[in-house]
Amino acid sequence: MDLLHNLIFGFGVAFSPVNLLYCLIGVIVGTLIGVLPGIGPLATIAMLLPATFYLSPVSALIMLAGIFYGAQYGGSTTSILVNIPGESSSVVTCLDGYAMARQGRAGPALAIAALGSFFAGCVATVIIALFAPPLAKIALEFRSPDYFSLMVLGLVSAAVLARGSLLKAFAMIILGLLLGLVGTDVNSGASRYTFGISELFDGISFVAIAMGMFGLSEIIFNLEAKGKKEIFTSHIHGLMPTKADVKASWKAVIRGTLLGSALGILPGSGSIIPPFASYTLEKKLAADPSRFGQGAIEGVAGPESANNAGAQTSFIPLLTLGIPSNAVMAMMMGAMMIHGIAPGPEVISKQPDLFWGVVASMWIGNLMLVVLNLPLIGIWVRLLTVPYRFLFPAILIFCCIGAYSLNSSALDVGFIAIFGLLGYVFRKLDCEPAPLILGFILGPMMEENLRRTMVLSRGDPTIFFTRPISCGLLLAAAFLLMLIVFPTLRHKREEVKE
Amino acid sequence: MRKKWEWSLLTIGCIVVLTVGSMGVAHAQSYPNKPIRLVVPFIAGGAADLLAREVGQKLAESWGQPVVIENKPGAGGVIGAEIVAKAAPDGYTLVLGTVVTHAIDVSMVSKLPYDPIKDFSPITLVGSIANVLVVNPSVPANSVKELIALAKSKPGQLNFASSGSGLSQHLAGELFKTMAGVDIVHIPYKGSIPAITAVVNGESSLILNVLPTTIPQIKAGKVRPLAVTSAKRSAILPDLPTVSEAGLPGFDVVSWFGILAPAGTPKEIVAKLNKEIVKILQMPDVRDRLFKQGAEPLSCTPEQFDAHIKQEIVKWGEVVKKSGAKME
Repeated sequence: MDLLHNLIFGFGVAFSPVNLLYCLIGVIVGTLIGVLPGIGPLATIAMLLPATFYLSPVSALIMLAGIFYGAQYGGSTTSILVNIPGESSSVVTCLDGYAMARQGRAGPALAIAALGSFFAGCVATVIIALFAPPLAKIALEFRSPDYFSLMVLGLVSAAVLARGSLLKAFAMIILGLLLGLVGTDVNSGASRYTFGISELFDGISFVAIAMGMFGLSEIIFNLEAKGKKEIFTSHIHGLMPTKADVKASWKAVIRGTLLGSALGILPGSGSIIPPFASYTLEKKLAADPSRFGQGAIEGVAGPESANNAGAQTSFIPLLTLGIPSNAVMAMMMGAMMIHGIAPGPEVISKQPDLFWGVVASMWIGNLMLVVLNLPLIGIWVRLLTVPYRFLFPAILIFCCIGAYSLNSSALDVGFIAIFGLLGYVFRKLDCEPAPLILGFILGPMMEENLRRTMVLSRGDPTIFFTRPISCGLLLAAAFLLMLIVFPTLRHKREEVKE
Repeated sequence: MRKKWEWSLLTIGCIVVLTVGSMGVAHAQSYPNKPIRLVVPFIAGGAADLLAREVGQKLAESWGQPVVIENKPGAGGVIGAEIVAKAAPDGYTLVLGTVVTHAIDVSMVSKLPYDPIKDFSPITLVGSIANVLVVNPSVPANSVKELIALAKSKPGQLNFASSGSGLSQHLAGELFKTMAGVDIVHIPYKGSIPAITAVVNGESSLILNVLPTTIPQIKAGKVRPLAVTSAKRSAILPDLPTVSEAGLPGFDVVSWFGILAPAGTPKEIVAKLNKEIVKILQMPDVRDRLFKQGAEPLSCTPEQFDAHIKQEIVKWGEVVKKSGAKME
């Protein structure tokens, strides 16, 4: 069979000592970068790019790819341990992962995250090997109206994320939307709500908002409650997931993998959508949705699998069409071009060692990451036993360094403080930060695509329904909205009847 | 006793003055004796960033002092440029300026926080990246002249994509509009990759995209190249005519990149930097890598760079005025 032949060839390339070494370096660096909040794979790859000039193209790409998906593994570590998303794709893991850590179950959470990511990585590798060209063609079909409808679906599902009042969830989504408006408008070039501050021209930094609303507000909250209860229960319930955990999460892992693989291919959709989508799906399908947010392991397993699958399938448009799906892929494209390889449909046929070598190395990299990360769990968990009065200043310092390191901007660090305070106020008012983050990210994308579609269709709104993909997504959004709203209405009607 | 005290003070004073004075002299002679900051006003991984890292690395190798690349993206490059404009002119802070930060922004951005001529000492140009006019294969035009004729027959129906309002692709398109007298609709995207993707999948008809992100699509046959936008043919695509040859004489748009220091930097330091960077840009491996990325290495004297910037400001000022584009 052709596929088997190609994969064996790829493994032959990837298993050479040089390539194995670079794969290892890549995933170790990637994990470290993922754990450190703020600095991400993009800056790291840019800094290491000159080092790859003297390597063969295959080795260079293997290492850079390792950094990218290694960062997805590392990002979940801080999300679970201290409620700070190391990468934007790990925001969702904070919700249930941190709750599990509070209950002394950080070990199982970290383990399930690693194992789920490994499973997703393996499946994604097979998907790339089998379906790369046809999937890429589908991805190219997505135009601005379809992206808009996808964002609408995403925003409606953001309401599912919240645990409490639906009204508060919608309020937070809209607040996130408004915060996302700050900056320069893509379509007109006008700057909105920047108050003349140059740093705001590109919008409020996502990292600052996420760290502030999740991490800092948590610290403030904990310091207030100090003395009244333990921050982290000292009774650690073991490091590995129990049988019950695995039973509960295996379906979530599969669903997350498929969802992540599908969404990761779409250029420009970002790495944050697959985990959110997976979380929403798990919550909707769960027998008891109220467990989510309190430490439901499906809330960690699904999103973690989704984000790793999404990270790997985001290579597909680059390797098959020469279109990078995100900034990291754009850097890879630069790396390929420096080595004289023109990314595009010919890469598979003209450079089979490159394509199949990278695909095979993804599987090897995932294996290395699991082997690396599982033993580290013991160390991470022990970190939580450090008294909180030493832990929280260290967390704060890392956050500030991380946020500053992105743009060398002191304003970003200031924003962490502002959003930390805001996050604390919202927690007191029982409003959750997750819908706000989703609104913040999806809102601007939705607006950009809406206005562009209107220009393209010369003002005709029916285009959203005449394009099949867009129509389908909007119907799904309407359906989901009904699913969310009707039970509440029925509940209220029952109350009135009584 | 009083006399002794006065003598001691005088001696100490002389020593201090001599030391400080000699430090000043020794400073210029021993430049560089500490790390140099090269500010890149764009994100890591972009064309500007890769150029800067190439030059920075070689500079560090030959001078033995680290050259730290600082990415300060934002506001289309204004933030990074402003930082260097206000930095100390001691030769330890440099900026990778581009056509956007030093020629376009002064006309596009109201209340620009720096003056591209007065606040900077140009060192040298380092490279230029041409734009290439490509169309979606379904567009029935095989040359610039045919495209202009098509656009004239369908006013307001053809779309041209760009990487964002106020950036060189947008203004290149506006220049095309004005010079050819056609009515094409501008569709801005967030960056050059979504923009070229839109032309590949047909959402937009044409684009004057930067070379690096377009080459893969041209090679794959996903877009049809019509011409390059520079005044001279590109060494990377030597078979393509220039827009100027193909129907719009005088059309010249390139994204150029250069290194500048804050105004007031001592002339010896400027000369030393110029000499070394020009040497780097002649190295075969540097030139080879730049070509592969779609950039053509350039070099010149500080005076030539200064004249170039002044010319570009005038040229782009005209384009911006005619197009009516403005960024706040």
